[in-house]
Amino acid sequence: MLRYIAKRLVYIVFVFFVVSILMFGIYKSVPGDPVAMQLDGKATSMTPEQYQQLYDQTKERLGLDKPVYVQYLVWITDMMQGNFGISSIHRVPVIKLVAEPMKNTILLNVVSLVLVFLITIPLGIATAVRKGSKFDTGVQIGTIVGYSMPSFVIALIAIVIFAVKFPLLPISGVNTAGLTGSSWVMFKDKMYHMALPLIVMTIASLGSITRYVRAAMIEALSMDYIRTARAKGLREKVVIYSHAFRNALIPVVTIITAWFVSIFSGSVVIETIFLWNGMGKILLDSLLKQDFAVVLAMQMFYVILTLAGNLLMDIAYGFVDPRVKLD
Amino acid sequence: MNNKKKNGYSFFGWIKGMLFGMNSMGNPEVSVLEEEQMQGPMRTIVKNFLGNKVAMTATIIFIAIFAACFILPIFYPLDLTFSDVTQQNVGPGFSMMKVPKKLEHNIADISSGSSFGVGVDNEGQVYVFGKFTDKKLGQIPENMGKIVDVEAGHNHILALNDQGKLFTWGYDRFGLGKIPLDVKDMSGKIKEIGAGYHISYVVSDKGEVIFWGNDNLLDIDISPVQKNVEKIVFNTSTAMAITKDGKTEVLCKTELPIKNVPDEAKTGAIDIALSEKAAAAITKDGKLIVWGSNANGELNVPEEAQGKFVKVEAGRNHFTALTSDGKVYSWGIDNYGQTDIPASVAKSNIVDIKSDCHQNYAIDENGNLHKWGLKGYLMGTDGSGRDIFTRLVAGGRMTMTVGAIAVIISTVIGIIVGGFSGYYGGKIDNILMRLAEIVGALPFLPFAMILSTIVGNKVNETQRIAIIMVILGILSWPGIARLVRAQILAEREKEFVTAAKAMGINEMSIIFRHILPNVITVIIVNVTLHFASSMLTESTLSFIGFGVVEPNPTWGNMLKGCQDSKIISEFWWRWVFPAIALSLSTISINIIGEGLRDAIDPKSKER
Repeated sequence: MLRYIAKRLVYIVFVFFVVSILMFGIYKSVPGDPVAMQLDGKATSMTPEQYQQLYDQTKERLGLDKPVYVQYLVWITDMMQGNFGISSIHRVPVIKLVAEPMKNTILLNVVSLVLVFLITIPLGIATAVRKGSKFDTGVQIGTIVGYSMPSFVIALIAIVIFAVKFPLLPISGVNTAGLTGSSWVMFKDKMYHMALPLIVMTIASLGSITRYVRAAMIEALSMDYIRTARAKGLREKVVIYSHAFRNALIPVVTIITAWFVSIFSGSVVIETIFLWNGMGKILLDSLLKQDFAVVLAMQMFYVILTLAGNLLMDIAYGFVDPRVKLD
Repeated sequence: MNNKKKNGYSFFGWIKGMLFGMNSMGNPEVSVLEEEQMQGPMRTIVKNFLGNKVAMTATIIFIAIFAACFILPIFYPLDLTFSDVTQQNVGPGFSMMKVPKKLEHNIADISSGSSFGVGVDNEGQVYVFGKFTDKKLGQIPENMGKIVDVEAGHNHILALNDQGKLFTWGYDRFGLGKIPLDVKDMSGKIKEIGAGYHISYVVSDKGEVIFWGNDNLLDIDISPVQKNVEKIVFNTSTAMAITKDGKTEVLCKTELPIKNVPDEAKTGAIDIALSEKAAAAITKDGKLIVWGSNANGELNVPEEAQGKFVKVEAGRNHFTALTSDGKVYSWGIDNYGQTDIPASVAKSNIVDIKSDCHQNYAIDENGNLHKWGLKGYLMGTDGSGRDIFTRLVAGGRMTMTVGAIAVIISTVIGIIVGGFSGYYGGKIDNILMRLAEIVGALPFLPFAMILSTIVGNKVNETQRIAIIMVILGILSWPGIARLVRAQILAEREKEFVTAAKAMGINEMSIIFRHILPNVITVIIVNVTLHFASSMLTESTLSFIGFGVVEPNPTWGNMLKGCQDSKIISEFWWRWVFPAIALSLSTISINIIGEGLRDAIDPKSKER
């Protein structure tokens, strides 16, 4: 097991470096002169010679006078030390810029994750047990519809229902503008604003997870030990919840692990539609404003998340199912 | 889905019979394995699939959408540069020229606005009909008395009663909502009224003109003709007038092509008309003269248009003229059928014509109304006045093409990588799988976004779309590669591979001609499901503005900006149709994929 993890970690480091070189190369090929962007507007108030001098100084300060591979090494060393660069638009360190959005994204994703599993696990079990019934067929069609619909269409429909036809929920923002009060008041307000993105996010992931749980449960129910349990005369409830469900959890746990990693990354579409100040929205805004320091830092963060998620999923699989041999 | 017994009597059963030439109605129940022995696996798969009613319904829906998106654009070609400010956000329906029955045979005056019409009957009763872009258009003021003249502007209406009193309703910004005080102080009685794009005007019998509304948009210098106007006509930017002493004056300040009035038309014109870019006039002896810019073919007067002309009318980009012997001719742009004069007009003796915007009305000597031009839009128009239906089918073609090509690219790469990786194993496998891991580690949406920003700026739109397809394809092959690898791993130890090796067949041939056909069914299922997700990705990218961009339509970018609550509630047609089309396509593709999977592996159905 340890050997396997060590081997995987070596691969992860390797993959990480290749991806980082790739990302850095792409970042470098962005059209535009970062030095001129830094000195935006200063050209008019100086003589050409003064400007050239300042230009060269700034270039040196930013380290852009060195060859590309040195720039890469400087950048990746900074990254490793937790120095993710400075946003060229907001002029603040990236880490400061994403602090608040990160909180919002995690809040939204965790609540959504909990809701999704609270709904899908019972639903998946119920459809698996009543396999082939009208209820099952209905849910099956519903889940296909659910995972086939793009999240922005679900968002539009949710806005129509909850904000236009029945104006219950606010359609944008994280907090009511200008609202001050105790932290409890602020929290309630935030929850109120979170409702609509939360609904959309939850509905958008219901379909695939329900199908997953159902398939796992059907697989478990077809096993010989279930037949044995029934033959022993155990009550159906015990058979389902105690014998079958525990085994069906094995694949489910692994996707929970993968999901757990993904709670740090926001949904670009949903956060943008509802103006939810999260990671996805920051990424989109930075891309639109060509603030590539932020984009690059976030991309690298996502890469690490994906790699860590894959590893965690494999390890979790090994843990919950001793029959799975990792090598 | 337990419909084995029923399907023998169904429509699909009949298709099956046609396909395989066997009478499926009389077939006894046979188990899957027996079936396979009797008819081969492929036939079993097709039979299973055809028997799955849900999947077959989905197939038919998808084929219908697919056919619509690839055939209809031929008949409804998309003009990418087109936009029409007067047709913004018009709702679906064909009621723009639905003249009320009461009005139809008792008509005194009729006028068309951008997407509605207003008419008055001989008793002075006013009727409005069509698509109201402003709800207030339907609120006809009460107690107006006997109305004798009505004029429709872009989205407001001006009416005059027999006492010389003016009324206005509809869009009320720019001071259009009320009649200015100057009108009361005007010298003489009101002789003529008119309404244009956010503007209203009146002309008195003493030749004074007063206009009000959004004059920022206008390029008019009224002073040369003020208090000397016999007739004045407006388009959205300027005006043209005949003075009391018979001169034709174009009133724009800038030098437009219409400013060069031909000598023949300079004096003594009896009627004038002004479209957006061209002008027309009729001289005393009934000769028709057109001048200005020929951008929309307004100068191409039909050759058969002979005779003594008595009246000419202009729409936005077309002219309609009437001769003394009751013949009507229309020419200019024909994008809404403005110049398709119905046969009934040619047969009748027309006594009066009226053209506005994109509609034409003609009244014959028996008082019957004939109409041609823009009736409306099947699915309404968007914020730039473009027909949503045309964009929907063209957008569908774009979405499906991008999705399909991306899938083809990723499948080809996936099969090659997976094939080599699975067959050779060892070092090659390790390297290729690391490569797959690297590509898989790239966060898909952000990475596609950044790539399309960087690459997209340097190239034109067609190349950009091609690059998007390639990006989508290149970023999504690892899934298929892993699948193919796993399948090949399972197959490569089988006897037929050993036999092929022993026969000295080269390895390429073994991988792609011997092993691959055995796993192709699994790949097909995966490709089908992948096609749906590829379409979704393209739409998502276009929705957030990093995929295909305007003016090229896709289902994703048609929905861009539609989360605005005003659009959602008031202009529902702008998002409902693309959303339905996109969802219906992906849902049906996914159902087809699931159906194929069930058909290939009947055991999965048991699950």
